[in-house]
Amino acid sequence: MNLGKILPMLVFLPLAVGFVLLFLPSKIKSVSKVLTLIISVIAFALAIRIFSLGQLEYSCPVLQIGNLNLDLLLSASALQAFILMFAMGFGLLITLYSLKIHAIRNTNIYYGAILLTIGGSAGILLSNHLLFLLIFWEIVTASLYLLITTGGKNSNFAATKSFTMIGVSDAAFLLGVLMVWALSGTLVISEIAKAPVPTTSSIAIIAFILLMVAAITKAGAMPLHTWLPTSGEYAPASVMALLPGAIDKLLGIYLLVIIVRSIFALNSVPLTFILAIVGTATIIIAAMVALVQHNVKKLLAYSAISQVGYMILGIATGTAVGLAGAVFHMLNNAIYKSCLFLGAGAVEQETGTAEMDELGGLGKKMPITFVTFLIAALSVSGIPPFNGFVSKWMVYQGVIQMGTEQTSAVAKLWPIWLIAAIFGSALTLAYSVKIIHSVFLSRLPDKLKDVKEVSLPMRIPMVVLALLCVLFGVFYFVPLNRFIYPALDIEADSSIFIGTWDSTLATALIVLGIGLGLVILLVGFVSRKVRSVPTWTCGEVQPNEQMRVSGTHFYKTVSSMGGLRQLYAGQEKGHFDTYNQSGRLGLALTGFLRWLHSGLLPMYLTWVILGLLVILFVVCKIW
Amino acid sequence: MTQALQNLFWIFIFPGFVFTVCLGLVASWIVRKVSALVQWRVGPPFLQPFYDVMKLLGKEVLIPEEAQQTVFKAAPVVGLAGVLLLSTMLWRITIDPTRLFVGDIIVAIYLMVLPSLALILGSSASASPHAALGTSREMKLVMGYELSLVLAFIVVIIKSGGQLSLAAIAQQTPALSISGMLAFLVALLCVQAKLGFVPFDIAEAETEVASGVLMEYSGALLAVWKLVQAMMLVALPLFLVMVFLGGFTGALWAGIAKYVLVLVLLILIKNTNPRVRIDQAMKFFWFYCGVVLVAAVILAIIGNSYGIKWL
Repeated sequence: MNLGKILPMLVFLPLAVGFVLLFLPSKIKSVSKVLTLIISVIAFALAIRIFSLGQLEYSCPVLQIGNLNLDLLLSASALQAFILMFAMGFGLLITLYSLKIHAIRNTNIYYGAILLTIGGSAGILLSNHLLFLLIFWEIVTASLYLLITTGGKNSNFAATKSFTMIGVSDAAFLLGVLMVWALSGTLVISEIAKAPVPTTSSIAIIAFILLMVAAITKAGAMPLHTWLPTSGEYAPASVMALLPGAIDKLLGIYLLVIIVRSIFALNSVPLTFILAIVGTATIIIAAMVALVQHNVKKLLAYSAISQVGYMILGIATGTAVGLAGAVFHMLNNAIYKSCLFLGAGAVEQETGTAEMDELGGLGKKMPITFVTFLIAALSVSGIPPFNGFVSKWMVYQGVIQMGTEQTSAVAKLWPIWLIAAIFGSALTLAYSVKIIHSVFLSRLPDKLKDVKEVSLPMRIPMVVLALLCVLFGVFYFVPLNRFIYPALDIEADSSIFIGTWDSTLATALIVLGIGLGLVILLVGFVSRKVRSVPTWTCGEVQPNEQMRVSGTHFYKTVSSMGGLRQLYAGQEKGHFDTYNQSGRLGLALTGFLRWLHSGLLPMYLTWVILGLLVILFVVCKIW
Repeated sequence: MTQALQNLFWIFIFPGFVFTVCLGLVASWIVRKVSALVQWRVGPPFLQPFYDVMKLLGKEVLIPEEAQQTVFKAAPVVGLAGVLLLSTMLWRITIDPTRLFVGDIIVAIYLMVLPSLALILGSSASASPHAALGTSREMKLVMGYELSLVLAFIVVIIKSGGQLSLAAIAQQTPALSISGMLAFLVALLCVQAKLGFVPFDIAEAETEVASGVLMEYSGALLAVWKLVQAMMLVALPLFLVMVFLGGFTGALWAGIAKYVLVLVLLILIKNTNPRVRIDQAMKFFWFYCGVVLVAAVILAIIGNSYGIKWL
């Protein structure tokens, strides 16, 4: 059997089954659950097989129009294979998690769309032909729309907003693809990669920006991020974990890496500058907005935006360590952000709300969710020795190396990029602490006394992801050597770092330190008894509800600071939302048209005659 | 095997736990003694900090019923492990600059966050409303000084020509230039806040929120926190000495003198200022220190590209 055949199988099997599931009558729910689970297991197994086989090719002629060859070209090299493996892994974990979710509106559409996402993202990653890549890209966009609509109330609005924004960026993608075709004469990525388009002509720069818009809208970077928080609020948490949390990041950053490395030879300073400024602005602004959110899922959505900034910044540095850091951060972010969304989903399912005001003290009731969420939150904040620290540390090194080795104006501004990136990490810690405090620590509200831990199928994905966070942090050289370096043609075990981070030794020493601390505590606990007492409130007896200090207003000091206050107010009203602003523009335009269409016959006749005169004038002028 | 034994010796005895704790308790005695002298008091005897910790270890441990008990108990231990690693790492690099140990300056910046984070989580887990206020304040304080602290370190990284290794950074003395001096002064204030010293003791303000973050801690748990604070008193000034003042590269007594100088500066700031509010502190670190440091960064870049050492 030709081994290449497993590539189309991985793409079209989930797509076909997913498409069928969409039209199943809603009574047979268990069929779609079982089928989705089986297919996602098969997809994951195939992806592992592809990864272990290495280089694979598949081609099948579809259509030929003139000199435009439309062949279905699928190929898997190291970069595609490892992203594919993780994307399929996320698909499987989320499917497993979904089995026990109660709050999905339309089960068959949900599972069908999950399979479409799995097949579509496999298609995007394996396509070697830009047009097919675009087609699969659209399939994922459409399935995101379907998935968001399965949420509760208002989810249709969120789905429409997401679909509009990503759809517009897809149009930019199409335009960019056509321009690339005009520039290089072919649409096959591996052909273009032999002679990447130099970003010197203005048309190449425009094409680059168009493709970049598509990539960063999918990944959710500023200023095209606003579909993410809205869907974060209304879509089911599992959907957020699957698409914006994991797969959209993988795909968006994958496309950006392809654009920068294969399609274009990025040698234009303004473009690098745009990438760097988008990266840093995304890190800081999204994190600042995340600080003041009240809804766990919405906060996490802003956090998902903020993290994209690190990846874009890493790519912008143009250094080996920066690029490797960016791709590693893409992987790490997918892992912990998925875990965070799943944790939020677990909390929402058990308590019925994701508003931080109404939560608290759940660490005692849901210990496994709490521990996994805590690990993921520490990872996203870049606390050593978890995985987020390593990839952020690599991006920082990329920035410093850019500053010392390159001479362009962007490189000379490296202190700005560096401070934004490191400070962004402190802000990340701040909003993580806010969630941890208001959801899991603090005090338990009276009405949440009977909350229980979620069931096993929901726990497994969270535990797996949290374990990955720890493993990829402590043994970071393993994923680097196994996945990242081969994917980016960096020699294994090469010393691209300029700093030092001996994570295994550090972890061992931390564990020893913890052991030592425990011994001291033990001495204290043994020498005198330990007593449980009510909270000390300086003698004043208060009911439980009045002693609850929710974390919602932790950062009021920041949001009411002079200068920032106005920005926050504007943000709250949606002044900085591209979607709202273009919506306003569209309304103004249609308002004008409505004013024209007054419904009065004489008015229309006047317009017709005026138009006739104009046409006559033009025609006479030409002849 | 010998390597593992050596590591064990480093972390537990020298320059790790035993050494850092003893030095830290002595340093905290210096803090109390100098504060007393400033306030025309006699001050405690030399062994008082040791007595305090021993006494706390023997006291009853009270744990709030509503607390998330695991986090509440684990927090001081994690804080201890974090500061222990930081201190061991800094001392190891000071003693033997030719060998890489654990991490670089970025790792050190991140390790410095661990004790604060542990304190935040521990106080948040205690389920006390006072502690919750402390949690919020401590986190905002971290957010505030982190920006200035990192900017100050960027000045040093610029001066070192993009070097990240702590040993290489300790070879130079940035404080002898204008930008380095500005960065050092701001970093000193940041360390003041990191140590929870007046005027930045906002999170544990005894008179406002009854020790805030530490309110529910007692007995052995509080003893561990006291140890963490004592060890911070070693690690953080040492870090400043290494990064800004050229470390222990010269004579040993010069290194010790630099450390004591930093410590005394911290104590004097502590004793001559009233506590500020959290919004004042954040504004101070973000805007005033920020402006100073941006100027320092620009000076450092100019100095570096034109080879003017004193800028």
